Amino acid sequence: MSRGLQVGDRSRLSFLSRPHPMLQRFWDVAGAVSIRTKIMGIVLALVLLLGAGVTVQVRMALLRVLTQQLREQSVSLARDLAARSTDPLLIHDLYDILQILRETKANNPDVRYAFIVDAQGRVVAHTFGEGFPRGLDRANFASGEMHHHTVALTTEEGMVWDTAVPIFDGRAGTARVGLSEERLRATVNAMTAQLLLTTALVSVAGIAAATLLTWLLTRPIHRLVQATEAVRRGDYTPRVGRWANDELGELADAFNAMTADLAAAQAERQERERLRAYYLRQIIVAQEEERKRIARELHDETGQALASLMVGLRNVEEAPTPEEVRRRLADLRALSASTLENVRRLALELRPSVLDDLGLAAALRRYVHEYAARFQKPVDLQVIGLDDGQRLSPEVETALYRIVQEALTNAAKYAQAEHISVLLECHGGQVSAIVEDDGRGFDAENVLRSGLSANRLGIYGMRERAELVGGTLTIESQEGRGTTVYVRVPASPQENRVTT
Amino acid sequence: MRRAKSLSLVSIVSWILLAVLAGCAAPGAGPMVRLHDLQPLPEEPPTDVIPLRVAVAAVISPKGNVESYTPLLEYLSRRLGRPVEMVQRRTYAEVNDLIRTGEVDLAFVCTSAYVAGQREFGMQLLAAPQVNGETTYRSYLIVPADSPARTMADLRGKVFAFTDPMSHTGRNYPVWLVRQWGEEPETFFARTFFTYSHDDAIRAVAEGLADGATVDSLVYDFALARDPSLAQRVKVIHRSMPFGAPPVVVGPEARPQLKAELADLILNLDKSAEGQAILRTLGVDRFVPVDDSAYDSVRQIERELRR
Repeated sequence: MSRGLQVGDRSRLSFLSRPHPMLQRFWDVAGAVSIRTKIMGIVLALVLLLGAGVTVQVRMALLRVLTQQLREQSVSLARDLAARSTDPLLIHDLYDILQILRETKANNPDVRYAFIVDAQGRVVAHTFGEGFPRGLDRANFASGEMHHHTVALTTEEGMVWDTAVPIFDGRAGTARVGLSEERLRATVNAMTAQLLLTTALVSVAGIAAATLLTWLLTRPIHRLVQATEAVRRGDYTPRVGRWANDELGELADAFNAMTADLAAAQAERQERERLRAYYLRQIIVAQEEERKRIARELHDETGQALASLMVGLRNVEEAPTPEEVRRRLADLRALSASTLENVRRLALELRPSVLDDLGLAAALRRYVHEYAARFQKPVDLQVIGLDDGQRLSPEVETALYRIVQEALTNAAKYAQAEHISVLLECHGGQVSAIVEDDGRGFDAENVLRSGLSANRLGIYGMRERAELVGGTLTIESQEGRGTTVYVRVPASPQENRVTT
Repeated sequence: MRRAKSLSLVSIVSWILLAVLAGCAAPGAGPMVRLHDLQPLPEEPPTDVIPLRVAVAAVISPKGNVESYTPLLEYLSRRLGRPVEMVQRRTYAEVNDLIRTGEVDLAFVCTSAYVAGQREFGMQLLAAPQVNGETTYRSYLIVPADSPARTMADLRGKVFAFTDPMSHTGRNYPVWLVRQWGEEPETFFARTFFTYSHDDAIRAVAEGLADGATVDSLVYDFALARDPSLAQRVKVIHRSMPFGAPPVVVGPEARPQLKAELADLILNLDKSAEGQAILRTLGVDRFVPVDDSAYDSVRQIERELRR
C-alpha cells in the first residue's frame, strides 16, 4: 500500500492546476465568446433554471394539494349523497333518488358519475343515462361499519376517485360517487403553461437586459482599448471619459492618470535628452575653451615669459661687467621663478595631483591657499569628520573638488564677495560641502528655472556632478544677500537616480 | 475519479428528469374501468325462493321502521324458512296500492289506511296491537313545552304540522277539530306542511319548526319511553277519543294458508321470550285479533269530513 509518490499521482493530486481535459475544452470554447454572449448566457441560464425549477416545484405541489382536495371532496359528496338518499331508498322512491344523483352531478363539476347500489349490490339508480359501465359497480365497496372507502380508478378519461359510503350502515345499500381528475389536470397544466410563458417572457426581458448591460460595460472598455492603442503608438493625448462611478470609472481615472504621467515622463525624458545633448555640446565647447585658455595662457604668459628668458639670457652674454651679469642673472632667476610658479598654478588648476595622492581634504586646503593668494581674498575652510589621508571614492572626491572649485570661482568672478567660507563635513555616510559668500548674490530660483544661459552652465554642471554620484545640490541666493551652495553626496557612490 | 464524476452527473440529471416526468404522468394506481363501455343493467335473475314481502306504513320515519320491525321480520323469516323483505313507501296510499295488487303479502298500516283500503278493495284484518291493555289509541295534540297554547283554538294563526295526507290521527282528526269551529285548516292556520311520519312531526314541534301537531299516541308514548328528555321539549295539551289501533293486514287475494300461518306467528309472539323481545322493540304488549267494528269511530269522523 505505501508505495510512495509515483509519476501517475500527479493527475490525482494536481487536479486544480491541471484541469480535466473536458473542462479545458469547454473553457476554450466558452471563454472565447464575447462578453455579451457570456452575460446573456449566464442570465438566460439563470432565468431558465429558476423558471424550470419553480415550475416543476409549483406543479408538483399544486398537483399534490389539488389531488388531496379532490379525494376529500369525493368523500364528502358521497357521504352527503348517502345521507340524502337514505329515506328515498328505504321507501323506494327511485325518482327522488335519481333527482338527488342528477343534482349532485350538476352542482359539482368534478363529479363524473354517481349511483346508488341496494343492499343486494344491484344498481338502483345512476347518472350514466342509457347503460352502465361494466364492472364499475364491483370496482369499490364499503362495508357497514366503514366511514367511507376510496379507490383511484384508471379510466380512458384519466384517473377517477371513486368513494363508496354505506347507506344506513349498509342495510339500505351503498352510495358511490366518482370524481374525475380532468379539471384538476387542466388547471395544473394551465398554470404550468402560464409559468413557462412567464419564464419565456422573463428570458426575453433578461436577454434585453443582458444586451443593455453588455453595452454599458463594453462601450467604455472599447474606448479604453482604443485609447490604449493610441498610447502604444506614442500618442499620449487621448483621455477616457468617466462613464460611471464604478470600477470602470476607476479604471478610466487610473488610465488617464497613467497617460498623463506617461506624457509628463516622456516630456521630461525629452527635456533631459535635450539637456544632455546640450551638456555634451557644452562640455565639448567648454573643453575646447579650456584648451584654448590653457593654450593662450601657455602661449601668452609662459611662452612669453620663456621668450623673455631667452632674451634675458642673451643680454647676460652681452653684459659688460660681472656685476651686470650677476644682476641680470638675478632678474632672470626671478622671472624663471615666477614662470615656474605660473606653470605650477596652471597645473594645479588643471588637475591637482594632491587630489589623487593625498585626498580631498588636503587638496581643498591647497586650493584654498592658492585661491586666497591669487584673488587676494581670504577663504575660511573647515573640514570636519575627514582627516587628511582619509580617502573617499575617486568619483566623490573629484565631484566635490570640482563643485567647490566652481563655487569659489563664481564667488570670485561674479559675486565680488568680501568673506567666503567653505565647510566640508563627513558624517554618517554622507559628505556635505557648503560654500558661502557675502557677495552680490543672484536670483537663484529664476535662473535655475529659466533654462540655460552660458554663464550659468557652471551651476548646471555642479548639479549634474552632484547627481551623477547620487547626491543633491542646492543653491540659495538672493540679490544683495550673498550666495550659499549646499551639496551633499553619499560617501560611497551610488547609481545615478532618475530624478523626477 | 473521472468515471465516478460522469456517473454521478448522469444520475443527477436522470433524477431531475424523473421528478419532472412524475409530475406530468398520471400514476395508474387503481383498477381499470372503461366508463364508455356501457352495458344494460342485468335483469333480476329469477329466484327459486320468493321472499315474503312485508310493507310497513310510514307511521314513523323509514329508518325508524327499519329499526323497529327488523327483529320481527327476521323472526318471520326464520319461522317461515324464506327470506323476508321490508317494503316502505312515502305515503299510505302507495302502500295500500301494493296491498291491493298483492305485491306485498303482509302490511302494518295505519288506521285510516285500513279504513280506506277495506272500503275500496277489501283489505283484511289480521291482528291489532295491544298497548297497556288497550287495542285503541288516540290522537295527541302536542305543542312545544314552553308554548302558552292550551287548546286547539290557541293554535289559530300558527304553523301546524300534519303527518300523512291520509293519516287519521295526523291529519283527519286535526282537520275535523278545526271544522268544529267552522274553519278550514288553510285559513285557520298560518301555514301547514306534511312531515309524512309521526316521529318527524314530534321532532318538528320539539325543534320549534311547527307550533303544533297531532300525532299517534302509540308513537308518542314510545318516543317518550325511548327519550324521556322529550318531555322537556314537547307537551300534550289535548287527547282525542279512542280509535282502533293501527292493524296488521293482508290483501284481498291473500292465500288463506299463508294468512293462517302469519296470524298464528304474530298472535303468539307473546308466548315466547324471543317474541316478547320483538314486541318490546315494537313497543307493543301483544297482538290480538280485532273486529272491524273497532274502527267505526274513525269512519264516523271521516264521514263528517267528507260532508
